Amino acid sequence: MKKNTFYLLVGCIAVVLLGLFWYSVEGDNPLVIEIAFVIGVIAIYLARRVVTDLIEDERSARITEKAAMRTMQVFWVIFCAFSIGAVIRLLDTPVFPAGFPPPFHPLPSTDRAIVFSPLRNFGYIQLGLLCLMIFLYVGFRMYYARKFGDFETDEE
Amino acid sequence: MPENSETLRPMKNKIKVYRAMHDMTQEDLAVKIGVTRQTILAIEKGKYVPSLDLAFRIARHFNVAIEDIFSYEEEPRTVMVD
Repeated sequence: MKKNTFYLLVGCIAVVLLGLFWYSVEGDNPLVIEIAFVIGVIAIYLARRVVTDLIEDERSARITEKAAMRTMQVFWVIFCAFSIGAVIRLLDTPVFPAGFPPPFHPLPSTDRAIVFSPLRNFGYIQLGLLCLMIFLYVGFRMYYARKFGDFETDEE
Repeated sequence: MPENSETLRPMKNKIKVYRAMHDMTQEDLAVKIGVTRQTILAIEKGKYVPSLDLAFRIARHFNVAIEDIFSYEEEPRTVMVD
C-alpha cells in the first residue's frame, strides 16, 4: 500500500467514526462508537504494517520514543493532580446528595442540555485530559524532531 | 537532569567526504543503508548520533573501518595543579 493511500484510508475511517459518533449521540447508545473506535484503530494499525514507502528508521523511532517518554513524565503529574483533587472533593462530601445514584430512565430531551451527571462530567474531564496528552505528545514530538534534525535543510 | 550523549554531540564524522569520494547523494546513501535522507543529513550535521549498528552499516558501505568515518572527540579536561 502506498503512503498516500494509507492517509486516505485513515481519513475515511475518521469520517466513518465521526458519523458513528453522531449516530451514538442520537441513539443514546455509546457502545456503537466504543466498539467502532477500537475496530477503527486496529484497522489503522494493520493497514500501517503494509505501507511500503513509509521508512521508519532508528532516528524516527528515537524521536517517537523520547516524545512518548516525556509526554508520560508530564502527563502522569497532571493526571495525578486532577485525581487527587477529585479524591479530596469526594472525601469532603459528608453524605451523598439526594437522588444519588441518578435514575436510569432517560431524561426528557429538554432537560438533557442542562443536567450534568457526575459520570458525564467525568467523561468531559477524561476527554480534556486526553486532548492535553495529544497536545503534549505533538509538542514534544516537534521539539525532538527539530532537535534530531528533522527540519534541517541542506545544499543538496 | 544529566545531559545525554545527543546533547553533547562529541561525535564527528566524515560521511560527507566519503559521499563525495563515491559520488553519492544523501538520498543514494540513505536508500542503500535503509534509512531516510533526513537521517543522513542529521548525522552529517551532528544533530543525531547513529547507533553502532547504523555506524557499522555506513562504514561497511564505504569499505572502510568505522574509525575512518566516525571519531569521538574528548571533552577538554581540567587538570588540578598543586
